Amino acid sequence: MQQVERLAYLIEYLWQEENGDKILDLPDTEQARWDMFRSLINVRPAKDISKDFIDVQDALLIQYNTQQVTDITSLTPYLGNDIYLWQGDITQLQVDGIVNAANSQFLGCFEPNHNCIDNIIHTKAGVQLRLACAELIERQGKREGVGKAKITGAYNLPANYVIHTVGPQVRKTPVSRMNRDLLARCYQSCLEIADAHQLASIAFCCISTGVFGFPQAEASRIAIDTVLNYKRIYQSDINVVFNVFTDTDLKLYKEGLKQND
Amino acid sequence: MKKLANYLWIEKIGEQYVYRMTPELQDDVGTVGYVAFMGEDDIKVDDEIVSIEASKTVLDVQSPLAGKIVARNTKAEDEPTLLNSEKPDENWLVKLENVDEAAFNALPEA
Repeated sequence: MQQVERLAYLIEYLWQEENGDKILDLPDTEQARWDMFRSLINVRPAKDISKDFIDVQDALLIQYNTQQVTDITSLTPYLGNDIYLWQGDITQLQVDGIVNAANSQFLGCFEPNHNCIDNIIHTKAGVQLRLACAELIERQGKREGVGKAKITGAYNLPANYVIHTVGPQVRKTPVSRMNRDLLARCYQSCLEIADAHQLASIAFCCISTGVFGFPQAEASRIAIDTVLNYKRIYQSDINVVFNVFTDTDLKLYKEGLKQND
Repeated sequence: MKKLANYLWIEKIGEQYVYRMTPELQDDVGTVGYVAFMGEDDIKVDDEIVSIEASKTVLDVQSPLAGKIVARNTKAEDEPTLLNSEKPDENWLVKLENVDEAAFNALPEA
């Protein structure tokens, strides 16, 4: 099956599940079909899905996700021998664990095609990730608190695990002491759970700096300080990638890491 | 005497230690929509004692002291916005006994 055919199958499945016999206007191109598939899977509630769907989805995503992969072993450390700085899409990074900036609902982003990390991680990992998160949060019986971390498989992503953490939301500056502490606790909790699962490497996205509004410069300092302190205090030899997406963050992390060199 | 730890005020009243919301914490979390107490009565430092879901955050509050919880503000579970109140008889979380007074004294002054 070609990717366009897989997408057609997946779209028809999701469309029918949601809309029944209502006429589907299936787009022609692979890109348009991908966008439609993504929007449908983004809004799908966490409920069981057929094995056939998962098989076709996995075949699609494996091919899609292996197009441009960066392996951590091909990167050069930026600081010491185990701190890396990498600009790019975290879903294309082959490391042991990647950190997802989740929200307290914990089920991944439900906004169709939303350009956030939670959305792209869930979309490219596959529908199984939302189901795994739903199981964790149901077992917990309440929404996920800020500053903690939970680990799941990464399904179709090049990484092995996804570590989900909910960062603080900042509505006004200066950032309060509590929100600064909570951001630090996010990094700490992710490292703790990564070490508890003996992960060799972890890639952090810039937690809370997107729609959650944490000022980027202050967030980068907290991220760097917390990670370096943790590694020193606990003598952890985990490889840490600071994954940045924007040029602003790249510059901030370069400056921040240089100060620790 | 009043102390400040884990963003809470801790007041010693007789033999009891009362945790309460500070105005800063109330501002940080926003309007409280859901409150759930959790855990055992006997607690250690940093044990989670209550989950507060509010307009700006979901916060699992940790205890800055070890001791035994002898009262919880369960009214706040029915009426979560009590935790946004200025009134001391409404905005408290838990009351502890069997607390090491030296540990209390070592906390920062409010």
